[in-house]
Amino acid sequence: MKPPNLFRKSAEKGLVYSLVMIFMMMIGFHVVAANLMSKVFGVTVLRGSIPEVRFMAFVHILFAFLFGWGASDRQRDKKSRIRQGLITSLTAGGIIALFSVLLNYLVEAQIDIRQYLTAFSADSMRYFILNQGQSGIFVLFAIYLFTGLLGTILAIIFQSEKAQTSRQSLKAKIGEAAQTFSDKMPTLVKKHWKYGIYAILVVVLLIMPMRWGSYYNFVASVVGVYVIAGIGLNIMVGLSGQLMLGYAAFFAMGAYSVALLNAPTPHGIMLGFWPSLLVGVVAAMIGAVLLGLPIMRLRGDYLAIVTLGFGEIIRILLKSDLLIDFTGGPRGIHAIQGPTLFGRSFTSDSDYVYLILVFIAISIFIYQRLANSRTGRAWLAIKEDPIAAQATGINLRGYKLLALIIGAAFAGLVGGIAAARNAFTGPNDHSLMVSINVLSLLIVGGMNSIPGIVLGAFALRGLPEILREVETYRQLAFGILLIVMMLVRPKGLWPGSRPVLEKVDEEVVEEISTEIKKPKRKRTHA
Amino acid sequence: MIATKKENFLLKLRGSGTIIRYILGILAGGYLLWRLYRVFIVQSAFGLETWTRLLIAGLVIGSVYALIAIGYTLVYGVLFMINFAHGEVMMLGSFAGFFVLEATRAMEVNGPGGVATSFSNAYPGLAILLAFVAGMSFSALVGFYLEKIAYRPLRKAPRLIPLISAIGASFALQNAALLLFSPQTRTYQNPDILTRGQGWRLMINDSAVILPYTGVFTMVLSIILMVGLILLVKRTRLGKSMRAVAMDKDTAALMGIDVNKTISNTFIISGILAGSAGVMWGLHNGLLHYFVGFLPGIKAFTAAVLGGIGNIPGAMLGGMVLGLLEALGPAALDISFQLKDVIAFVIMIVILIFKPSGLLGEVLSEEKV
Repeated sequence: MKPPNLFRKSAEKGLVYSLVMIFMMMIGFHVVAANLMSKVFGVTVLRGSIPEVRFMAFVHILFAFLFGWGASDRQRDKKSRIRQGLITSLTAGGIIALFSVLLNYLVEAQIDIRQYLTAFSADSMRYFILNQGQSGIFVLFAIYLFTGLLGTILAIIFQSEKAQTSRQSLKAKIGEAAQTFSDKMPTLVKKHWKYGIYAILVVVLLIMPMRWGSYYNFVASVVGVYVIAGIGLNIMVGLSGQLMLGYAAFFAMGAYSVALLNAPTPHGIMLGFWPSLLVGVVAAMIGAVLLGLPIMRLRGDYLAIVTLGFGEIIRILLKSDLLIDFTGGPRGIHAIQGPTLFGRSFTSDSDYVYLILVFIAISIFIYQRLANSRTGRAWLAIKEDPIAAQATGINLRGYKLLALIIGAAFAGLVGGIAAARNAFTGPNDHSLMVSINVLSLLIVGGMNSIPGIVLGAFALRGLPEILREVETYRQLAFGILLIVMMLVRPKGLWPGSRPVLEKVDEEVVEEISTEIKKPKRKRTHA
Repeated sequence: MIATKKENFLLKLRGSGTIIRYILGILAGGYLLWRLYRVFIVQSAFGLETWTRLLIAGLVIGSVYALIAIGYTLVYGVLFMINFAHGEVMMLGSFAGFFVLEATRAMEVNGPGGVATSFSNAYPGLAILLAFVAGMSFSALVGFYLEKIAYRPLRKAPRLIPLISAIGASFALQNAALLLFSPQTRTYQNPDILTRGQGWRLMINDSAVILPYTGVFTMVLSIILMVGLILLVKRTRLGKSMRAVAMDKDTAALMGIDVNKTISNTFIISGILAGSAGVMWGLHNGLLHYFVGFLPGIKAFTAAVLGGIGNIPGAMLGGMVLGLLEALGPAALDISFQLKDVIAFVIMIVILIFKPSGLLGEVLSEEKV
């Protein structure tokens, strides 16, 4: 077969790269990127104002470098790699320059198309071409061409065999040093260092909520809520393999139970937080039974769509006028009473962080016990192959339903806590977005692993709260992240390890096989 | 084997699902009949003119659903995956058509008689044609690249993985549109001959029922497109290769069919249909924003399931039935019109539970459901 045309492929790559850059400009991301860049350099920019021009130039240089780095194929020889880099950089730079010509024209002719494309304000367009007008276009072209080439050359040097062997030897040296270091450790430390880290973590988590401000407490409680929700969903998706897109419905059951039994309007029952939280959990479990029994037959994508429909039905019903007297309709329920413990009511944010931390600990305990039990193994078996699992005597329907019920119980719990914490709940708190958030934190973090769930919750909920600039782009990043994760790392950043029967040692196998060959020899070891 | 206590409990649950399903079904059916009895016999609140109005609305919306549903069915047929982002493909096509109409509206030309009018009023047919071409080609492009980027590398992966990728794609497209075009709701600028709300007047029971031009246009065009699609699938080489790939990818490849190309073509065709549906949606309903693809997408999927997924005539029938049920349902059951989405979702759940093969579908094997 003829090898694919080098020129065409590289030109296509350049086109894709330039389109990525143009798309970023079209959604106004270039200003945000420059903003982040200025943050990296330690220059603070006032909110709403555009950072200095040099940061925009740095952004261009960074992207051009990355484009150049990715331009060439690893397998090719040096000469064609440089040619590839040249073609890609030329096309990318050329198309971006053409786009800049258009921008420049729009700025100079004072044509306002913000009515259609919001990001095309004059300031933002001029900023993209470095506030320079026509000369800026040439500068941009030069940046893309030369930095792209530089990127390609550095990639070639970095990926050359020489560099790779030196990196490997460095790695080996570090590994050796670590080995000798750990060998010198007393056995007590060697065996139990994990518990030490846990202890440090617990102490940090106990102290921090009092130290950091209420803003970080807010972030921490949001992340915590999503951690518990993630653990619950993981029982459904990660352990028993049932893709659930209506998770927010169970969330809503918990939240509305706490809200209706604990708010002055619309009923004014004021049952108290703890009993109503219990009611919420039980309500979510009953909901899971009612949803689960009829749909147990379905699997995979059909199950996902049905549960999505279920979640949307619940949300629409909560929002409609039909139940307005009962659930407050689209306005939701305000002034939900918080919990009291030993006569002390929960008022500050740090109280809630502690509450959530306690529940996280309980959830992790329950989850670990479940996952390592007979039930957990049954779930895993069902996930791997339902037919084989059934053949080994696992009751499919019962175990799948059990997974739904337990997962829903977590959702009900966390919904109740979130409602009490926000002192508000409404139909829009339980939209499809919530379900997808929880699912994507599982997918990004990694299923069946507590650190993965925590990591995912932090990455998807905590980071955007801290990096306020990128808040607008969070949802877009979500979508792209889901695709990229599926393409690159479908198991997530920190996936759980599957239970392995027994590690088989090569030597043992060899010994056994020699024993089988010479049955007369006496056994020397057990 | 001695069963433990827990297992006894679990054993008892076995089979109860079926019973509960039927009890629920009978209860729901009884309730439905009671409601219908109340509305039609006891109250008889609506006259024939209201029903005609609702019927027209249902047929129009049903034909749009049918076009989108065909896209789901085609893709499901060849890849066995739900193209979750299909509604967004439609939304983007709708935006493309919107921009074309907006541009033709802004363009000044000398119309017949030397009077300066806008391009879209001077040559309305051409303007609408351009809008459809733009919408269809943009949607086709999006569909093509969607498959190439988000689905093709995952073809061998377990089935949940492409679905999650599709959810991600749906989100990404939706939010890209949000960031590009802002969250504001836009109004389609129809040429004057297709002004919304105008149409032929039918006199029923001494009150006028309007048969809107846009509605008739939508129905006629979608029927033309559907006939064209059936001819394409039944008569052309492309259709033959699509059917072959849907039946068995590996064997089709052995017979010399380029499977990748056929799948790409399937996405292009479903994109064309979704794009035209998007422009029709805009012309008829008028309102357009980034979220406009989500609900029609889900409902069209419901329609595809209702008709039997993987079955093209089934998708058409399902779309029409769903549109009619959605339009007539709230009035027939005397419930608030806000709940029409609930009707669609309930139909979807009921169909998937009781008859996942749909109205016209073949009995799907365990593997497909």
